Amino acid sequence: MTRVALVADIARTPEGPDAIKRAQAGDVNAFEQLYREHSGRTYALCLRLVGGDANDATELLQDVFIRAWRKLDTFRGDSAFSSWLHRLTVNTLLENARTDSRRTARVLPMDDTSRLPGAARASGIELKMDMEKAIASLPRGARLAFVLHDVEGYQHQEIAAQLNVSVGTVKAQLHRARRLLRERLEK
Amino acid sequence: MTHDVIKHLVEDYVTGELTEDARVPVAEHIAGCELCSAEVESIKEILARASALPTSIDPPADAWSHIRQTIEHDAIVLKRAPSAGIWWRPFTVAAAVLVVAAVSSSATYLYVMRDRGQVAASPNAGAMRSPGETPASLAAFTVEENNYLRTASILQELLDSQQGQLAPETIAQLKASLRTIDEAILEARNALARDPANRVLIEMLSASYRQKVDLLRRSTEMTRGS
Repeated sequence: MTRVALVADIARTPEGPDAIKRAQAGDVNAFEQLYREHSGRTYALCLRLVGGDANDATELLQDVFIRAWRKLDTFRGDSAFSSWLHRLTVNTLLENARTDSRRTARVLPMDDTSRLPGAARASGIELKMDMEKAIASLPRGARLAFVLHDVEGYQHQEIAAQLNVSVGTVKAQLHRARRLLRERLEK
Repeated sequence: MTHDVIKHLVEDYVTGELTEDARVPVAEHIAGCELCSAEVESIKEILARASALPTSIDPPADAWSHIRQTIEHDAIVLKRAPSAGIWWRPFTVAAAVLVVAAVSSSATYLYVMRDRGQVAASPNAGAMRSPGETPASLAAFTVEENNYLRTASILQELLDSQQGQLAPETIAQLKASLRTIDEAILEARNALARDPANRVLIEMLSASYRQKVDLLRRSTEMTRGS
């Protein structure tokens, strides 16, 4: 589903804006309502971004909603709440990755993803796989570009800004992702 | 354009990213090229499968309970903070920074001197703690330290998201003060690693954490009161 569709979907939810205002005023129950409305889409995004590990995805989802609660004051309604959450999800993923890399004193450039968990799982992958497994098996940089562009519908420019890389890098990662997916799915 | 050139443009052709001038010759080539036609179909299939993925997947049922627990903990931390009162006045912030810096430096000085055998264990070091606030053992302190770190992290994040509401000089003072406390924490932590049974060190470290949490709490109150 593209972001346009997501916005339309939220607009159809009558309690959406009201729940946001109440949550901004500190109403935890209203925030739970927002969680119930948005957690499914956010969890789907988390699962794909982290490479299919349910524990990592749950942890990321929880981090995202805890951050969302703490930063709710900064949501001004300029964009749909779902878009705001999507950006927060990607930012949280990147921030967690930076923290993890600092913790382990190991920093990998975006192109060198062969040692990351998602890539490690690729070595043992079955020859025939479904689309979700194939996405999970992609190297991290290629996976992020593919999920954000081809699944979530973001533009190259937006992805480049979020990931803090050039548009050329995003395109190259996207090309790589599609090529790897075709190879793996056609086997 | 030759096949070798066009095969690199097939993906952009499928995703509609070619200009009209480039699209026409590429389309003409694809119509007559089996390899490129197969490539087009393959890319279209990947894009179709990506679009067909479920947009929503239910998270584990217990995921919300952890979120709720954490945000309610946030609320408790903020409720414990004193009311905005005089804290948002700049001169008060400056005074607080000076006090924090002085206390942190004194605590570190006391330990370093004691460590070098230049002074005996000073009763002043113990004076930093409030009765009942410092754990008796390193094991108990480890639990408390995790709570301090968690609380400090919550408050730091709150402060980061709201610091636009503070004057630049106030932010600079706060940052300088936090740096001083962090240095004291680091120094005490390193010393404790060398001497884990040292109760004075545990007290000092505990006091430094309390100072940090207190300063962060008051700072977030300033942003809410300004």
